[in-house]
Amino acid sequence: MLRQMIAITLKELKVLLLDREALALLFIMPIFFILVMSFALKGVFEAGSKGHPIEILVVHPPDSPLADRTIADLKRLEGFVLIETHQGTRLTSEKAEELIRKGTYPLALLFPENFTENLLKNEKDFKERKATVYLLSDPAMNVQLLTTVKGTIEGILEHQAFLASLSQNSQKMAGLAPGLGGVINQLFKKAYEIKGARVELIHKFPKNYRVGRRPTATEQNVPGYTIFGVFFIVLTLASSFLKERQDGTFLRILSAPISKTTFFMGKLFPYYLVNLIQIGLMFSVGALVFGIRLGSFPAFVIVSLALAASANGLGLLVATLGRTEAQVNGLSVLLAVTLSALGGLMVPTFVMPNWMKTLSLFTPHAWALAGYHDVIIRGLGVKDILTETSILFGFASFFFGIALWRFRFNN
Amino acid sequence: MSSSMLLVKDLWKSFGTIDAVQGLTFDIHRGECFGLLGPNGAGKTTTIGLLCGFIPPQRGQIVIDGMDLFSNPMEAKTKIGLVPQNVALYPTLTARDNLAFFGRIYGLSGKRLEERITDVLKLVSLTDRSRQPVGTLSNGMKRRLNIATGLLHEPKLLVLDEPTVGVDPQSRRAILNSIRSLNQSGVTILYTTHYIEEAQRLCDRVAIIDQGKMIALDTPAQLIRDFGKGMIQLEFNGVIEDYLIEQIKGIGKVTFLDEQKSILHLETDQTEQSSKEVLDLMKTNEVKLKTLFLSEPNLETVFIHLTGRMLRD
Repeated sequence: MLRQMIAITLKELKVLLLDREALALLFIMPIFFILVMSFALKGVFEAGSKGHPIEILVVHPPDSPLADRTIADLKRLEGFVLIETHQGTRLTSEKAEELIRKGTYPLALLFPENFTENLLKNEKDFKERKATVYLLSDPAMNVQLLTTVKGTIEGILEHQAFLASLSQNSQKMAGLAPGLGGVINQLFKKAYEIKGARVELIHKFPKNYRVGRRPTATEQNVPGYTIFGVFFIVLTLASSFLKERQDGTFLRILSAPISKTTFFMGKLFPYYLVNLIQIGLMFSVGALVFGIRLGSFPAFVIVSLALAASANGLGLLVATLGRTEAQVNGLSVLLAVTLSALGGLMVPTFVMPNWMKTLSLFTPHAWALAGYHDVIIRGLGVKDILTETSILFGFASFFFGIALWRFRFNN
Repeated sequence: MSSSMLLVKDLWKSFGTIDAVQGLTFDIHRGECFGLLGPNGAGKTTTIGLLCGFIPPQRGQIVIDGMDLFSNPMEAKTKIGLVPQNVALYPTLTARDNLAFFGRIYGLSGKRLEERITDVLKLVSLTDRSRQPVGTLSNGMKRRLNIATGLLHEPKLLVLDEPTVGVDPQSRRAILNSIRSLNQSGVTILYTTHYIEEAQRLCDRVAIIDQGKMIALDTPAQLIRDFGKGMIQLEFNGVIEDYLIEQIKGIGKVTFLDEQKSILHLETDQTEQSSKEVLDLMKTNEVKLKTLFLSEPNLETVFIHLTGRMLRD
């Protein structure tokens, strides 16, 4: 019995060792998961920490002492990096908006021209002292993170506003006359009780984004899960090609009067259709059950067509590269999970390290997600998603090109 | 109209450093059953890949029914029906669905397609199994359906790549009978095999190929006449002594001696006379034989004579 067991074990090991690519994938896959997920999730768990600060663009007038003091307070906080210039030039509101729209930064704090003046005018009446600061964010930004950042900024602004509302002499008194602590505390308390006398932080999205309200969690998540699901076609498609090759039906088809183009078109079309139905179904559930708004329908359709094309292209590429079932399975799962993580489906890209952000641009997932966010969350139209869709179709062409070039019909 | 259904001229194909097909030249006459005989790895399947247009050659010419395969592949391919070595069908689809799919690939549709499906199912006696998924059919039935699929579009040349490999004797008989009746109905057949008896029984002419080269081409009878020798296969209980081998060489030509020196093949024109001489020699030397097997001249002995090896090696 033991000998038989050993014989089976040895045979199995031999089979495993002979398929080196599949074996390598078994080891590479978990390493990839650990690396990608750790680096990506680091951003989520450490966002706002010293090692992983949140970058906020700051636009403020040149001579605004209260804005300066607020910024100085924020700079002292761990976990925030305030950026006042871009490529050596002082930031303007327009530039900040542009950088957010491009996805370079997630947040911008805009101090208006007369921020200090508004806050200090009519010193005797707290109620009249009202200034507004704008917090500009990408609609696709994680809501929890935004809430945290907003609360922190509001705290600092209120603190500065309160200090500004006290006369310089009162401040000196507070510092020089410890005996009057109780009185001063009463004054402070009184000042806080007066509502509307401080700074109002207004959250808004960049111009041209037709976002009537804050996107819901479902609107944020459905595109991500859909893209994740769509790329699982890679496994189905690649396995189907592998089976045709192994069964010899490829050869039978190729001996018929049929061009390779016709064959590939016919073979891929059902998978493309399945992807489109998949997308339609997932967003329908999102719309009907969770009430998400799809935005511009033509733009939505174009992004979906491009996404399905790139997923099919990747499927054909895996079919070309994988020689055995184990290789096809391993490669499909490896790509499905790591590209999803890299592409920002599991963790938003803005919390990733810079090198990872750059790497994410080389995944179709990131562009598909950006496309859907543009349409659903940012409320943009067809002309605004042309970049994303062009890149997605570019990915599809690249994958198809390599796959068709290297495709083997014979096993 | 040319008398050749297939013309192959100076065909070459190599895979890396392996020359799979080396300058094959032959033609197949209309209505002929032509055999391509050779051991496994001789280049038969590669030749079929080249003839069916899914393996591109390094050089050479293939003309099918007057149509050049490389300059007019789409039209030339309609004239060929391929029956691959493995059952190349979709196991989850029914027999009928498989036939319908491959029929459509060849441009059949509507009533014509239905007629052809019915005809070929009848031909291979699978009419009552047509709604059954292919995966549930027996191996022999799958093989028959594999042949039926190659016949759907009524090809002028049917190419069968070892269609009886791994088939039980009953199914093999049925397959060979189907091929014979197809040939009798006017279909030209190209039949590859490494089974001597099939080639001898079915084929009008046989090309023997070895290591990608054609080494003989003629009718089986003529090949046997020209190259066929009788063969005596001797198996000893132990190692044959060298002195004994030398004495056996006096009776005929020793064409094979295994590594253990226990099996010996002797080629001779007079199998009966030579076998008596061998038995006398053994008696004189008090050597016991395990087995003695006589073969009259056939295509196997032709192959051994030409290559020094057995077909199944």
